[in-house]
Amino acid sequence: MSENRKTQILILDDEPIVWRRLKPALEKAGYEVEAFTLSSKAMKRVQEKDFDIVVTDLKMEGIDGMQFLSEVKSRSPKTEVIVITGFATMETAKESFQKGVFDFVAKPFKRGELLEIVKKAEAKVRQ
Amino acid sequence: MTFFDKLKKVFMGKRHRRQVPFVLLFKTFQGLLEKNNKILDSIAAMGDKLGGDYVFDKNYIISSCEEMSDLVYKLIYDLDTITPNKYLDLYDAFQRINHEIQEELAGRAVIAQADYVIPFETISRDFGDVVGNKIANLAEVNNILGLPAPEGFAITTTAFKAFMEYNKIWQRVREEPLTAEASEELRALIDQGSLPPDLKRALQKSTEQLQLRAGDKKLFLAVRSSAWGEDSIHTFAGQFKSCLNQPVENLVASYKEVIGSTYSSSAIEYRASKGISEDEVVMAVGCQRTIDAKVSGVLYTLDPTTPEREVMVINAVWGLGAPLVSGQVPGDRYLLNRTPPHEIEGLSVRHKLSMLSPKEGGGTEERSVPEELQMKPCLEREEMLRLAEIALVIERYFKKPQDIEWALDETNQFIILQTRPLNLKTQMASLVCNLTESVQEHSVIFRGKGHIAQRGIGAGKVVIVRDDEDMDDFPAGAILVGKYTSPRLAKVVPRASGIVTDVGSPTGHMATIAREFRVPTIVDVGEATKILRPGQEITVDAEENVVYDGRVKELCYYEFTEEPFEESYEYRLISRVLKKIAPLNLLNPRDKNFAPGACKTFHDITRFVHEKAVEELLDLEFHERNMGEPAKKLKLSVPLGLVVIDMGSGLQESAEGSEVEPDQVVSLPLKATLDGMMTPGMWSTEPVSVDLGSFMSSLTRTFSSSLATPKYLGQNLAMISKEYMNLSLRLGYHFNIIDAYISDKVNDNYAYFRFLGGVTDLQRRSRRARLLAELLEAHDFRVDVRGDLVVGRIKKLDPARMVRKMKTLGNLVAFTRQLDVTMVSDAEVESSKEAFERLMARAIPESK
Repeated sequence: MSENRKTQILILDDEPIVWRRLKPALEKAGYEVEAFTLSSKAMKRVQEKDFDIVVTDLKMEGIDGMQFLSEVKSRSPKTEVIVITGFATMETAKESFQKGVFDFVAKPFKRGELLEIVKKAEAKVRQ
Repeated sequence: MTFFDKLKKVFMGKRHRRQVPFVLLFKTFQGLLEKNNKILDSIAAMGDKLGGDYVFDKNYIISSCEEMSDLVYKLIYDLDTITPNKYLDLYDAFQRINHEIQEELAGRAVIAQADYVIPFETISRDFGDVVGNKIANLAEVNNILGLPAPEGFAITTTAFKAFMEYNKIWQRVREEPLTAEASEELRALIDQGSLPPDLKRALQKSTEQLQLRAGDKKLFLAVRSSAWGEDSIHTFAGQFKSCLNQPVENLVASYKEVIGSTYSSSAIEYRASKGISEDEVVMAVGCQRTIDAKVSGVLYTLDPTTPEREVMVINAVWGLGAPLVSGQVPGDRYLLNRTPPHEIEGLSVRHKLSMLSPKEGGGTEERSVPEELQMKPCLEREEMLRLAEIALVIERYFKKPQDIEWALDETNQFIILQTRPLNLKTQMASLVCNLTESVQEHSVIFRGKGHIAQRGIGAGKVVIVRDDEDMDDFPAGAILVGKYTSPRLAKVVPRASGIVTDVGSPTGHMATIAREFRVPTIVDVGEATKILRPGQEITVDAEENVVYDGRVKELCYYEFTEEPFEESYEYRLISRVLKKIAPLNLLNPRDKNFAPGACKTFHDITRFVHEKAVEELLDLEFHERNMGEPAKKLKLSVPLGLVVIDMGSGLQESAEGSEVEPDQVVSLPLKATLDGMMTPGMWSTEPVSVDLGSFMSSLTRTFSSSLATPKYLGQNLAMISKEYMNLSLRLGYHFNIIDAYISDKVNDNYAYFRFLGGVTDLQRRSRRARLLAELLEAHDFRVDVRGDLVVGRIKKLDPARMVRKMKTLGNLVAFTRQLDVTMVSDAEVESSKEAFERLMARAIPESK
């Protein structure tokens, strides 16, 4: 991918406060960010556009995070997915990693922590 | 009957006290301590979330509360096992507090919804729904920022609803979509309506109270709208009526006039155009004492027409501000640079012929301006400066450019009449479009160092504050850089646009104050005072934890485009539930209020339970009752009344009777701790000179003049076995718990040290906390400081090294037990640290 293009990130969390707090932090760090509360809308968006990095919650109404990330990974295997969840269990973590998730973060987390992970994911995408 | 009542009845039914086998008792006590620590940790962890570093959602708040309530309940249950039926009132306290938390979580704010009238001084922004945002904002300006605002009270939306019900006007409003024609009819209905008797009484009481404060002066009120939703999403600017300078006799008529304006034809049309349902319309009304204004005006903290110039605009007229606000007269216009020293960038003085003044007997009248004032600027340069500083304090707090109505009174004091956010989203977008590039142009001084105590962005000149320096000349808008987060710095916090400290904790006292004023704060950065130069311009980005060289304009403006975290529902919810969880009100166990009924928070309950559990185990009668378990008094050369309970092989078998010699102690951790305490010189027996300040602060806590009398130091307990020790110490009012296990199984070895409280003021206590933390850290403990609570942990060392660490803890206990009384300055921390290390080196050179 070209060096000049900004890294494209999609955030999906049914709690708006989560992406409201993440989006500005990522934008300030130079990323281009789209954020969604509804998984159905996010699903539509990833079918239109390949993102470099997807940050998603797991437990949501309708299409849940596991389904969503499976779809993302199958459409665009290069996309790195970061899971953020308030209900972290060994099983969900294991399942996520089996699906090729880049990292798995338990809520609540510090914004700096997620930024670090995004940076690492970006490095991998840009390889 | 609730579950708790049933439980209570079951327990109350048994008149005789249960006999508790000692093994169960001890297990329960250990469980209780564990829960106690968990609760305190999780209170601190929830408090951390206020800093702004974390991303969390409502689920987190709910599950944290659930977990906490479960632990507190079990804690009470543990105490009940140890002291059967003795403190059953705790269940009531628990139920009450838990219910309040549940109500908060369910979104039913525990504001007295039924109140018709609320005095301004008890209002916070959580009252927005009942008093309208206009009043809620102004009340915070006064109650939190301490800026002068008119005295008065709010007539709530509840009162409005009651009035509409009482006079059966609701039906008319809901009958059909309102047209402009309905306006007149509704206003007439309101005008003819009468006040519900309760509302009448409440108004009378409030005006009487206000009159009392006004003294002999006749009371006049400005009666102004504060509609629900006004000043937040929709501005409704100028659509509602205000009645100025009304005598108390006119209050009811004015009230009806103001709420009648809810149905002015322009307001009805505005709502129809915005799709606002008439059902949502409720009006609160503010009643403010009339200000004798010499000069009045409006200030925009950022000129909306040319935001890129970074100037603020002041418009001013002689007398009252109404003609200016309504646009009848233009007034003087001053442009001031936003950055201190606020250079004047533009000055247009108008020819002012008339002014509005309060009329004697009530109402207002137009007067002509005396000739010598007609061409004179309404504000002097000094007054402009003062006003600019006040305005920026408000802007920093609300984190948005503000539109402020102000008045300058006869005593030359600025009074804030109203403040609301300027909506500059579109203008801002163009200012921050090159954000990434411009951020990259500035060099980073720190990144990711320290902890964010309050989020936000602040730019300004560095002022390094040494501790004992006079802080009165701290320039407004500067960045406060200090070594410590001393509570002493608190008084300059509101004037700072950012704070950076070398050491400190995000949950410490000063962090709390920084949060109260919402000043961006990063603590524990390390060497800020060494690296930053006085006068250097920096930008503190306490969002991403970065400090930039220079003023990163775009960052400051970017913040204006964001919804402030403090305004988010989640932030407000967690701060509300924390009020029922975190504050500690039960301080002194000898106080008569130290009782279940006085518990206001989960922290109070936790504190009470811990105190009573330890007390019970210290009660010798209690031990006889419980099958004569061996509780023995340890004979020590220092005045530490220590009772030892041997759980198994902790004492030599030869130890008989009720007293035991130190050399009969076998328990490895206790032996080492005692060694440490007895190290020559550590246990200072010199009489402590208590200076007046600390004496005064301890008077309220029935402080005995000498800390060294054995009688005073009676409440100490060690539970031991060969490898284990749990030591609960109360030296003065300090609480000290040391819990340790030492055996050959290196992986099981640990020592846990917890220290809390003290008799002197908070400042000295936090100095002592800092000293303890630094000493523990110097001796390899993992240290956590929260306010004046210090926790040190160490584990998995071989027995010989564990023993040395226990000795160090013993040294620390002896050395620091009365230090806060002497901690009069920060310099004491350093000299005490050196003294301690000297004593240690002398006593145990082999450990170095």
